[in-house]
Parts: sequence; C-alpha cells; structure tokens
Amino acid sequence: MKTTYKRLLALFLLLSLLLSSVSTAFADDDDWYTYTYSYWGDEMASPNAYAVTNNIYLQDLDSELGGFSNAQGIFTIDDLVFVCDTNNNRIVELVRREGKYELVRVIYTVAVSTLVADQMKFGDAVDNTLFAPTDIFVKHIDDDIREKLYPESKYIGTPYEFPDTPATPAADTEKKDDAQSADTPADAQTPDDGAATTSSEEDGETGETGETGETGETGETGENGENGENGETTPPAPKPSERKDNVIKQELDRQYDIFIADSQHNRVIHCDYNLNVVNVIKDPKDETLGPNYIFIPIKLVNDNAHRTYVQAQGVVNGFMEFNKDGVFTAYVGAAKVVLGFFTKLWRKLQTREQRKRSEQYVPTEYNNLSLDSRGFIYATISALDDQDIYAGIATPIRKLNSMGSDILIRNGAQFPMGDVKWNNIQATASGSSKFVDVIAFENDTYCCLDKTRGKIFAYDFQGNMLYAFGNIGYSKGRFSNVTAMDNLDEETILVLDGMRGSITEFSMTDYGKMINEALLQYKQGYYDKSAEIWKTILQYNGNFELAYVGIGRALLRKGEYKEAMKYFKSAHDSENYSKAFRYYREKVVEKYIVYFIIALAVLIIVPKIVRKVRKLRKEIREA
Amino acid sequence: MKKILSAIAQFFKGEGWRNYRKTLRYALYVIIHPFDGFWDLTHEKRGSMAAAHTIVILTVLTHIWDRRFTSFMLNNTQWSKFSIVMNILGILVPLAIWVVANWGITTLFDGKGRMREIYMGTAYALTPYPLIGLPMIIVSNLVTKEEGVFYTYFNVFALIWAGFLILCAVLMIHDYSLLGGVAAVIFSIVGMAVIMFIVLLFFSLISDAIMYVVSIYKEIVFRL
Repeated sequence: MKTTYKRLLALFLLLSLLLSSVSTAFADDDDWYTYTYSYWGDEMASPNAYAVTNNIYLQDLDSELGGFSNAQGIFTIDDLVFVCDTNNNRIVELVRREGKYELVRVIYTVAVSTLVADQMKFGDAVDNTLFAPTDIFVKHIDDDIREKLYPESKYIGTPYEFPDTPATPAADTEKKDDAQSADTPADAQTPDDGAATTSSEEDGETGETGETGETGETGETGENGENGENGETTPPAPKPSERKDNVIKQELDRQYDIFIADSQHNRVIHCDYNLNVVNVIKDPKDETLGPNYIFIPIKLVNDNAHRTYVQAQGVVNGFMEFNKDGVFTAYVGAAKVVLGFFTKLWRKLQTREQRKRSEQYVPTEYNNLSLDSRGFIYATISALDDQDIYAGIATPIRKLNSMGSDILIRNGAQFPMGDVKWNNIQATASGSSKFVDVIAFENDTYCCLDKTRGKIFAYDFQGNMLYAFGNIGYSKGRFSNVTAMDNLDEETILVLDGMRGSITEFSMTDYGKMINEALLQYKQGYYDKSAEIWKTILQYNGNFELAYVGIGRALLRKGEYKEAMKYFKSAHDSENYSKAFRYYREKVVEKYIVYFIIALAVLIIVPKIVRKVRKLRKEIREA
Repeated sequence: MKKILSAIAQFFKGEGWRNYRKTLRYALYVIIHPFDGFWDLTHEKRGSMAAAHTIVILTVLTHIWDRRFTSFMLNNTQWSKFSIVMNILGILVPLAIWVVANWGITTLFDGKGRMREIYMGTAYALTPYPLIGLPMIIVSNLVTKEEGVFYTYFNVFALIWAGFLILCAVLMIHDYSLLGGVAAVIFSIVGMAVIMFIVLLFFSLISDAIMYVVSIYKEIVFRL
C-alpha cells in the first residue's frame, strides 16, 4: 500500500517536472516572431504580417563579385534596387523580375565631363571613383524638367580626359604594384587601412591612387575574389578607392537622377542614370561650421522641389539643406535638446561660470531620413538616453514638415519607440530600440528598423503600433546587424544586413494586407466596410486592440453607442469611450426625461396637495 | 430563535446602540468643527471605538469600491494585477504604523494622548474620504472624461480635508500648539519611514537566518 503511494507520488512528481520543463522551454523559446503591444505594454502574439520570401546574397547573383561588405544603404525605385556596398567602394544595382533578382550593373566610377571636372576634384586631381558610399537616392526626372533646372545641360559635356601617365613608365609600374599589393588580403589588414575613417592624410593618399590607377589595368577581375574574402571578414573601414570599370550586365533605359553620398570623398554626387555627373555638393559654407569642418555625408534625400537634405557626420543642427545648385541654404529640423527634470534643476542652481564649465548639452544627431509620398521627411535618431525614451521625452522617430517641426502624431497607448519593455532577462539584447532606418508607405503607415534587436516596427498614421517582427538570430527572417531598409512596393520590404551582407525580402501576408485595407477604408470614409475587415482581423488575432477601436468607431458613426462603448472598453480607449458615452447619455436622458420630470413633479406637487387637503379637512372639522 | 430576535431587538433599543449612533453622528460634527470636535472627542468622551472602527471599515470599502466601480474612463486599474488584499492592507498598514509612530513620538514629546485616542482621532479625521468618495463613485458613472475633472477635484479635496483634520486631531488630542502639532506630524512621518525600514530589515534578516539554517540542514543531510 505504502509503495503504491510512493510510486504514484514519484510519477506525479516526474510528470510535473516534465510538464514544467516543457512549459518553461516554451516560455524560454524566442519570443513570438510577430507581436503587438497591449494597452498595458505587454507583448501579445500576432499572426505574421510579413513573411520572408527571398534572401539575396551578391555571391549568388555573380560569384565573381564577392559579397557585400558592410553595406550601409539600400534604395529602391520602381523595380530597381540600389545597394551601397560601402567597404567595397561600389554601388550594386539589381532589378526584380517576376520575383527574382538579377544583376544590372556594379558602379565603381561615374562619368565626368569637362564641365564638372573642377567640381569632381578630390585633393588635386579629378577623382571619379566612389569612396565608401553610404547612401543613394534615385528619383524620376523628365528631360523637360532637366532642361529647366540645368539650362547649361552639363549632361552632354565632352568627357574629361584623365591624365594618362603622369610619371615615367618605371615609376608607373612601381605604383601599379603598390596599387595591386594594397588589394591583397594580407595588406588589407595593415593599420594603414584600419585608421582610414576620418584621417585627412589617408584622403591624400587615396587621391594619389585615384590619379595613378589606370582604368584598363585595374578593371581586371583578378582581385574580385579577394574582395569577396574581405566581404566575409567585414573590415572596419573601407579600403582606399581605386578606379575600376563598371560592370554592366544589362542595359536599361531609364529616366532617373541619382544622388550618391560619397562619404569619404566628402561630397554628394548628382548624376543621371548613365552616371554622367550633373552636379557635386561639397564644402558647405556656413559660420556654424568650423574652419576645419570636413563634410562627410551619410544619408540623403532629394525632395520634389529638388532640394537635397543631407545628414552629415557630426552635424547636430539637423539636416543640411542644399538647393538645386548644391549650395548650402539652411539647417532643417534640429532635434531639440532634451533635459531631464533634475538636470534642469541642477543647471538652475549653478552659477554662470559653472554652467559654462559643465558639460554642454547639444541636440542629438539624426541618423537617417526618408521621404514619404507627400514630401514629408521621416527621420530617426538613435543616440538617445534609454530613460528619456522610457519617460516619453525623447522622440526616436520624427516627421518633419518643410518648417522643420515635428508633426508625427503620437496617439497610441505607447509612443512610437519600438520595444516598450526592454529589461527582460531572457532578451537577446538589452536597452531600448535604436532605429537606423524608416520607410513611409502611401497610406501613411511607417516602418522603423531597430538595430538593437533586428526588428521592424510598423505604426499607423495615428501612432498606433500595428505589429513588430524580426529578431537577432540566424534563422530565416532574423538578422545580425541591420543597416538599412526600403520598400520595393507597398507590400514588399527589403532589409539590408550589413554584417551578413544579405538582403532579406519580406512580403506582406494576407493578415498584413487586411490591416492596410481596413485602415484605407476607414480613411476614405467607408466605416462599415472597414469594421467588417476589422472583424475578420479579430478572428485572426483577438489581441489586436486597434481592431476593437476600428469596430467601435464604425458603431459610433452608426449610432450604436452602447455597443461602441463595449468595443472601446475592450481596447482601453477611454477617449473614444467618453465620446460614445456622451451620445449614449444624451439618448438615455432624451428617452427618460419625460418620466423624470413627471416623477419630479409628482414628488413636489403631491405632498403639497396632500398638505392642502389636510389643512382643508382640519379647517372643515374645526369649523 | 425568539430569544435571538428579542436579543437583537434589545440591542437596538439598548444604551449601547444609541451611544454608537450618537458617536458616529458626532463624526459629522467633528469634520466641520475640527478644533472643538477633536477636543470633545477625547476629553468629553463623545467618540467611541465602535464608531472609529466603522469609519475605518468604510474608508477601506470606499477605496476598494472606488477601484471597482468608478467609471472605466477615470479608472486605470489593471485587473489582471489587482489584489484586494493588497488594497485593504494598503489602507490598514499605513494607518497602524501612523498610530504607532505618532504615539511613539508624542510620548517622547509630552503628548497627552493615548494610543487608543490617537487611533480614534485619526479614524474620525478620515470621515471626509468615504463621505465624498462614495457619492463620487456614482457621479463618475454619469460624466464624460472631460467632466471627470470634477471627480478628481472632489477626491483631492477630500484627501486635503482629511489631512487637515488629522493635523487638528494631533493638535487637540495631545494639546499641542500649532507649530508643535506640525512638527509632531512631520516627525511621525519620519518615524513611519523608520518603522518600515526596520520591519523590512527584520524580515530580510529573518529570512537570511532561516536560509542559513536550511542550508546547514541540507548540507548535513547530504553528508550523512
């Protein structure tokens, strides 16, 4: 008898142990791939809004080219994809045909005419190579507009003749050897290369190589394999650029203008689709910039008014705005300085001298920007204090109007700040989300790319979070170090992983499409239709609070206030609940006001009558 | 059965019940005439412990009902994390610590009041909270979010009133001057902090001690 008890107990313990281990394993397992946040800031599982449909490696498209090395920028227009292969000093252009990606060309150099040769000078010599390009922007442009903008038509200048052999043949070969040895992997790790980030001596050297490197010689494909090796080790800084022939696989006829942030050559190159340079933005002149200021453009866009906005390294006053001729005109959208309460108090208490000596509070630097379809700039800031983000003082995502003020709507339960809770012990990375890129869609939703956890966060035009997906990891749809993203169309996102050298293509699932459809229907005023779609979405994802709000709003418009209140309550939307409640109260009061008045009248009048009657009776009796 | 009923009837007719009603009604006098009221409360024996308990219970109930029945718009309670025990203790524990701390401080500083009187005075001083809070719960269900500021204002007013009454209670019960009363209140609050600190320290030390014994026991069991 006793033994059976013991056995049962042992079995029970074993079972509970097993069950508990199973359940903890489940909890420990990576958080849900796609999720939303509840009103209370808890993660809630969500169906996938995007699914990985393609993984592109440059090696797979052309094995001779090697992989991407620390690629920093990606830009898509129509069916073309431009990738800034930063450490390989080149831009790779791909085209998407029937879901597959094909190589169009690899850009190492741009074509310089005599008209712009002076502007293309780097150091003393004309340099038409790219040196660590970090971003590219491409836009449609017609010949008419081009004529209007640039009457001197720099596009059709005579090609600039590069000085062929400036030195004696013997010296020339020597230098060629130098150039080639610099390309070997062994040499690539010399400290010389490691320190190439900003040093100006390095720049001088590169100018030299650009001068001596002959197009014919260096165009040989012998070194490409070595480049590939570099791509895998991801050297910390790009190698000095050198003139190579562009690799052209396909000839496309397009009407585009291209802007390239040629960061280590300290310039922005503006050229047409055939790479004929039109203009160069360099050496911005302004008193806020010191005499030793070196212009290092990192990210850029060009708006409908042909103004170029550049985020340059170390510039904290906002984006630099250049007019169509490449002249610096103004700063736009300086991020305001965020001071905590105690810092403010402390600074109040300090004397002027102390304040001067204590640390300077400068605005935080932007790190990326993109244009939406209406010409507003979406910008991201990553250098923010975790505490400020948590408190909602800091704004990691901003939407700037032409005046440079932040007009992003933040009506959600949480601010658009990526992850809401980040002190999770199980988490793969700690700290707040650090956004490195943002894209805006036609319907005013926008996606932000978080470097901390390799996640993409989507928000609607009101600042409500739609979903978040992605993570750090090695499986499909996870990343090592995301650097940039762009959308090929309204339903396809390309995410660039700088460390892995890959482009991940995400396509929207039916669930994601439904959310977009519901938002669109609501925006166009078809509230019933939108409510129907929200109801379907709820069948997929009962956690989605936005859907309850959507249905509630439709009910509110229809006049079903009580039902609307129920839905708003489910979504913890007290603002809308209050609105619905006001109408509901009105309705109830209207309905019962008559009875209420009658009751009141009865309460007041009846006692009076009774009293009078009694009085009368008394009088009668007495009489 | 008849006996019980007659006993109940006897109770409601009796002196005790009449006294209870009288002392409870006296709370309404106290909150409007705090100086007279609190003086008479203890010195003229116009208050009773039963009434004080009633007010404290009403305060606790008001607090819970406020969380439970206040309109959704003005009520940000996360029900999955709501604990009724914590809410009850959230009123009773600070009250107990306050009474102890105030008694300790005033005993040192020549206060006249006994602990029982301090409790009674504090309980009577809490009267505005249920008095305003309970109707406000109903009102909150009739207003929109914008009109909800009235709910907030009235509740804040009730708290300020209660705070003022507590100060008056301390002044009158211990026969202090205004300055002495304020000082007593401040020192009592400091004393509350010290008590809480010591209690926490005590519990953490105890748990450490228990862990120590447990680990020694385990070690011995493993060795044997």
